[in-house]
Amino acid sequence: MNVKWLIRSQSVATLAAGMIYPYYLLFLKNLGNSYSKYGLAFAVFTISSAAVSTWLGPRLDKHGTRIMVISSLGMMAAMFAFPWTSSYTLVLLLQLIMGTCNAMQRMSERLLLADSTEFVSRGITIGSYHFWTSIASGFAVILGGLLIDWLTINALFYMSALLYGVSAWVVWRASRASLSRKAEDTITF
Amino acid sequence: MKKTIALLLLIALCVFQYVRTSSPDQDPYLTTDYSRLHPVKVERVVAGKEEEQLVRLVKDAKRKGLKVSIAGQRHSQGGHTYYKDGIVVDMTSYNKIIEVDSDAKRITLQAGATWEDAQKAINRYGLSVKTMQSLNPFTIGGSISINAHGRDIRNGSLISSVDSFRLLTADGQIKNVSRTENAELFPLALGGYGLFGIILDVTLDLTEDEVYRESTLLMDLSDYVDYFQREVLPNPAIKLHIGRISVADDSYFTEALAKNYTVDPSLPLDKYNKLESNEKWVAPGKLLFNLNRSTDWGKKLQWNLQTYVFTRQSDHIISRNNAMRAAYEFMDYSQPGANDQLQEYFVPLDRFDSFARRLGEIVKEDKLNLLNVTIRYVGKDREAMLSYAKDDMLALVCLFNTPLSEQGQRKMKDSVQRMIDEVIAHDGSYYLPYIAYPTLEQFQTIYPNYENFFEQKRMFDENELFMNYFYANYGSGRRIEEVAS
Ligand SMILES: Cc1cc2nc3c(=O)[nH]c(=O)nc-3n(C[C@H](O)[C@H](O)[C@H](O)COP(=O)(O)OP(=O)(O)OC[C@H]3O[C@@H](n4cnc5c(N)ncnc54)[C@H](O)[C@@H]3O)c2cc1C
Repeated sequence: MNVKWLIRSQSVATLAAGMIYPYYLLFLKNLGNSYSKYGLAFAVFTISSAAVSTWLGPRLDKHGTRIMVISSLGMMAAMFAFPWTSSYTLVLLLQLIMGTCNAMQRMSERLLLADSTEFVSRGITIGSYHFWTSIASGFAVILGGLLIDWLTINALFYMSALLYGVSAWVVWRASRASLSRKAEDTITF
Repeated sequence: MKKTIALLLLIALCVFQYVRTSSPDQDPYLTTDYSRLHPVKVERVVAGKEEEQLVRLVKDAKRKGLKVSIAGQRHSQGGHTYYKDGIVVDMTSYNKIIEVDSDAKRITLQAGATWEDAQKAINRYGLSVKTMQSLNPFTIGGSISINAHGRDIRNGSLISSVDSFRLLTADGQIKNVSRTENAELFPLALGGYGLFGIILDVTLDLTEDEVYRESTLLMDLSDYVDYFQREVLPNPAIKLHIGRISVADDSYFTEALAKNYTVDPSLPLDKYNKLESNEKWVAPGKLLFNLNRSTDWGKKLQWNLQTYVFTRQSDHIISRNNAMRAAYEFMDYSQPGANDQLQEYFVPLDRFDSFARRLGEIVKEDKLNLLNVTIRYVGKDREAMLSYAKDDMLALVCLFNTPLSEQGQRKMKDSVQRMIDEVIAHDGSYYLPYIAYPTLEQFQTIYPNYENFFEQKRMFDENELFMNYFYANYGSGRRIEEVAS
């Protein structure tokens, strides 16, 4: 995949994540009566993230973009589901799904970055990648705050879900484009 | 280049947000209430947990000469729940249900419990609260301390349904208070604005949960009182009632909605009494209400939608407990530098028309941003020493959106004083939980028992341990500007 599109898609994904993340923490804290319970929700996230990574590792090279698309779609589903959760167990389940998506996103992102960069010029691309995703995250939190002030935290979850959808679509489109380019290249050869 | 622009844009946005949110009402280290006005630094906020802890706290504060203010959900708006450099006792964590006696139709609960907690505890017994506000997030302690009222038109103000309570007084003692025991404290602490001690637990008389048919009529405001007197009051089947006055341009103070809840004994309670959340459409509701705050067409849209939805809902079936938990999250408003402020004026029925007309005129002349007006009925009830229901009264509850700037508030204050002059001219009264803008003279005219009330306050609490800005403003001769600055 073209690195430009990788950066674009992941900036949208970071926008989606950054927009909800700090407010999501508040939302979770309000659910639990104790900080221990709150901590547990996060432990579940990391456990699933870690567990999935060992399974994903060997499959990553072959299915990098697919995994990235699935991670965004999974996050989209989780964001849509959050406002409807009615029990702590369901929250844990969503944390589990989100941990899995997190592993998929982080791993495929690194893979695709590595794939689309080369020794010597790598630093510039990685810098650019980091810059744009961080900027997206900055705009996201400010936008998120405004949105909750005007609407509700639930509206923010839905907005974030839509953005995840967009990022999945961008990755899918970009990977299709690069696939057909590859196919064309083969024909010309 | 692109990067620099993006970075600068983000920095500019942050600076803008910093400036926008740096008004005092947004300072997280200061204490205020629902109004977000007059934020001050308090010594500390203590969560009420145990009886012994509260007794110790009161004795400690007395020894150290600290002031104590009592807070429930802090939905009062005149500094009733805090005082500069004082201790704020936050009662919201003191919220256990102690007992539901379904035979005697009574509930005993800790004062920090909310109506929501109470409703959850009594619903299964087919019981319901007699009198409460239209909404249910308030604490019982905060509600009896201001002697609340709401949609029920048959049970007077809240004080009538209080059976007894236990009061932790300034000397660190706990007193049982009822109409027969320590009876002198009953009409003082109820509607006593936290000045006589910490109400620990309360026993309330309940009534039966019932099934109502909801019906809403659109009418001319000038027909409202007549309608209410002829159709609503004499019909014992109508248990709850609420009116609404249009603030939209084209029907401004000329159209009204009247909503009745009429009991239908033929409908089985168990089919309708599952407690429902009324918070289903918060985001669109909030957006609509924000449009109502900011534009004239938003006000029109709101009124037209309300008329359409409410009149269409006619014959909607609802249990009493569900009718007494109206939606409120759509009103949430956290914009820096501006806020919603409530005002409530009570007038005798025969003075209602003339008062409503004057109110509409003043709001127009003073260019106030009035968001909605509801009408409630309270029967004459003079039990509380600071009683607002001197007669059978109709209350106009007005919600304004106002800038929190000094200039904006000065303007609001002038308007409030103008409106209260009209209240006085119409033999009415105003509600005390709201902002302390009425003048001392206006307060004293409307609440002639004030002298006795404050004398008793100093008798039961000679060191003025229990302190807040309501007392500072109206009981001690000092005004909030001096005290809060
Ligand atoms: C959106 C909105 C709608 C409202 N609607 C209505 C309505 O329909 N009808 C109506 O009557 N009122 C209404 N009110 C006013 C509301 O009832 C009062 O502000 C009420 O006091 C809120 O309860 P609270 O728990 O927030 O009390 P707080 O504001 O926390 O406290 C109110 C007073 O009670 C004292 N107090 C609290 N707990 C105790 C205790 N345990 N012991 C001794 N003193 C105590 C405090 O010191 C303070 O003086 C409304 C207010 C808002 C903001």
